[in-house]
Amino acid sequence: MIGSKILLVDDEVVFTQNMSRLLSGRGYRVTAVNSGDNAIKALEKEPFDVVVLDLKMPGMDGITTLKEIKKLDLFTETLILTGHGSIDTALEAIKLGAYDYLPKPCEIDELVAKIEGAWSRKDGAAKKDMADKLQKVVESPSAAFDLFPRGSR
Amino acid sequence: MKKSPAHRSRAPESALASYPKPYYARLFRKFVSLTVICSLVPLLLVGWGIHIRHNRFAKSRVMVHFKSQVDHHMQTIELFLQERCSRLKLIAHTNRRDSLLGGRLAHIFAELNEASQGFTDLGVIDANGDHLAYIGPYDLIDKNYAGAFWFEKVMRSGLYISDMFMGFRNEPHFIMAVTGAQDGEKWILRATIDTAFFRSLVENVKTGRSGEVFLLNRSGVYQTTPRFSGRIMQKALDMPSDFHDGTRVFIRPKGNGAARAEKQIVAQSWLADPQWLLVVRQDYREALKDVNYANLVTLFFLHISALIILVVTVLITRYMITTIKRRDRDADRLNKQLLQAGKLASIGELSAGVAHEINNPLAIILTEKQILTDLAEQTDVDSQEFRAQLSDSMQQIDRQIRRCKRITHNLLRFARRTTSVVESVNLNMFIDEVIELLGREAKTSGISITRSFDENLPVIVSDPSQLQQVFLNLINNAVDAHEGKPYGRIHIQTMHDNENRQGITVKISDTGSGITAEHLDKIFDPFFTTKTVGKGTGLGLSICYSIVRQLGGDISVTSQPGVGTEFSIRLPLEPPSELIKSTSANPHSHFLEKEDLT
Repeated sequence: MIGSKILLVDDEVVFTQNMSRLLSGRGYRVTAVNSGDNAIKALEKEPFDVVVLDLKMPGMDGITTLKEIKKLDLFTETLILTGHGSIDTALEAIKLGAYDYLPKPCEIDELVAKIEGAWSRKDGAAKKDMADKLQKVVESPSAAFDLFPRGSR
Repeated sequence: MKKSPAHRSRAPESALASYPKPYYARLFRKFVSLTVICSLVPLLLVGWGIHIRHNRFAKSRVMVHFKSQVDHHMQTIELFLQERCSRLKLIAHTNRRDSLLGGRLAHIFAELNEASQGFTDLGVIDANGDHLAYIGPYDLIDKNYAGAFWFEKVMRSGLYISDMFMGFRNEPHFIMAVTGAQDGEKWILRATIDTAFFRSLVENVKTGRSGEVFLLNRSGVYQTTPRFSGRIMQKALDMPSDFHDGTRVFIRPKGNGAARAEKQIVAQSWLADPQWLLVVRQDYREALKDVNYANLVTLFFLHISALIILVVTVLITRYMITTIKRRDRDADRLNKQLLQAGKLASIGELSAGVAHEINNPLAIILTEKQILTDLAEQTDVDSQEFRAQLSDSMQQIDRQIRRCKRITHNLLRFARRTTSVVESVNLNMFIDEVIELLGREAKTSGISITRSFDENLPVIVSDPSQLQQVFLNLINNAVDAHEGKPYGRIHIQTMHDNENRQGITVKISDTGSGITAEHLDKIFDPFFTTKTVGKGTGLGLSICYSIVRQLGGDISVTSQPGVGTEFSIRLPLEPPSELIKSTSANPHSHFLEKEDLT
């Protein structure tokens, strides 16, 4: 989806720079960070539609970062992008709730296709959530107060 | 920081290698010697002891038996003489001299010989020595014995048994004479004992083929004809001993003036009257024939048993050594397979990490290509913007290609060292290479590898293909030990042994999760792992242990759970000679500098 917000997390600075440029050229709004810690900080600051996450990183690795993302309970899908020879960790990440994984190196079109898939799932999940909430409002109007946090009203 | 005590693992089975021939020869000799000492020596000592004891006992029994036989025989001869004397006395005392003249003497002689055999003749002699009556085979009726040596003696003592003498009949004989009395006048009843009969009586003792029995008078004259030594009435070569009571038994040495040159058992016993010496002698060998035979059979079976034990021991030991050799060969083969499997596992594990290292630059190269493609679609390829981007991308691609090349060459250098070759190794440079291979992978896991190398570390002679396996396994383990920790440190230290300067020590310490005391005891056992299923084979440390021992070194570990672990490897300057022989030693090859693979 053109205009989707992508968070690119990889310790390879040149790779994140290049990939940001390529994805931006395809209409995405890309933010690149080089560690798991910075990814969590970025997600806490603003919502992203898709997180493209590397697994092998110094400090907080990809799996730990994914767990932390899930703890935030956001409408964000995570796509694993790994250069590691073993796919065991990538499969573990899917079990933890990642949308899919893509091995490095990959063509930009493949990545875009995966991002689109991830966005669709995220969008579907968000819409379903909204529908559920509206259903609750129809059934019980007082539930409308729960749609928005107290501070935002 | 309190650390657990250093652990030295028992040798795992996989650490065994095949041994050189002298080892098995030594083992063979040791087995055989032990068996001989533990079974043959006691058997032979007990056997020989029993044999000596039994031999002495049996010989003493033979001597006792010999003595009792001679005692008994002496009594028989004495009884024979006494009984004959008694009969003569009875005749002399129950008959008047005159009544014996005429036909009655012949009747008495016949009765006498019927009751007691052995008389040759019988005669009645008056006090003047005249033969009054005579019954016998000789013509002696007109002989006068007044001058005979025995006449006076019998007249004086009333009873006399003579030595052997020739007399009127001119052949060896001895007489028994008793006195009777008629009207105050003494008369003599004289009888001659049958010499042949007497000799058969004397010789009636079992003395085998080599034995002889004879009588000697006090002058050493034969009273019976001995079997080998001479003839009756001849002077014997050896004089009889002084009179003694009872029977004396002794051993006469070989060739001691006797007719038979053999060693002999001799028994001597003096008769009371007449004082004749009964001599019984027999070859020692024949007398102890049964004892010697029993001894021979016993010794034969003893030594046959010993020989059988020795032969069986040798055969069993040979079989055992062959079996041990085969097992050692199998163990060696399995050990090599295990090492190879460990190496493949390491390469596999390494490949996964290396793939990550290569895929990252490849991904960058791909993005550079995509950027150029995108730009080519958007702008003219001759434009300044495209040219600038092309230049940037080419430089980036070049950098990434060099990065890939370095990684692949490092991996190739590792994989190439598959053959065991003993050569000079600069351990500092060697460990540097392993760090280069693993450092980047460790870095992506947040682990830094630091080093403090002894600059004066001597070059050692060792097997680099084995060493790289050890360091790779240990550093990989140290990296894995940090699982769950965002950051960590692995420190590698090399030092020359301070104690005896005989080797070098490499210490690899990490800040990982550490090892519990219960696991520390099993850490070098094959197939022991604390990693999750599928993540570790449990062979890494076992292989390290095997290799280090094989290289003549030692490996120990100290650890504290939650704090970290330190492996300490000691390596000798020169490996064991067995290793040099078993591997293709290459003294001209030196692993001193990094190979130039560009």
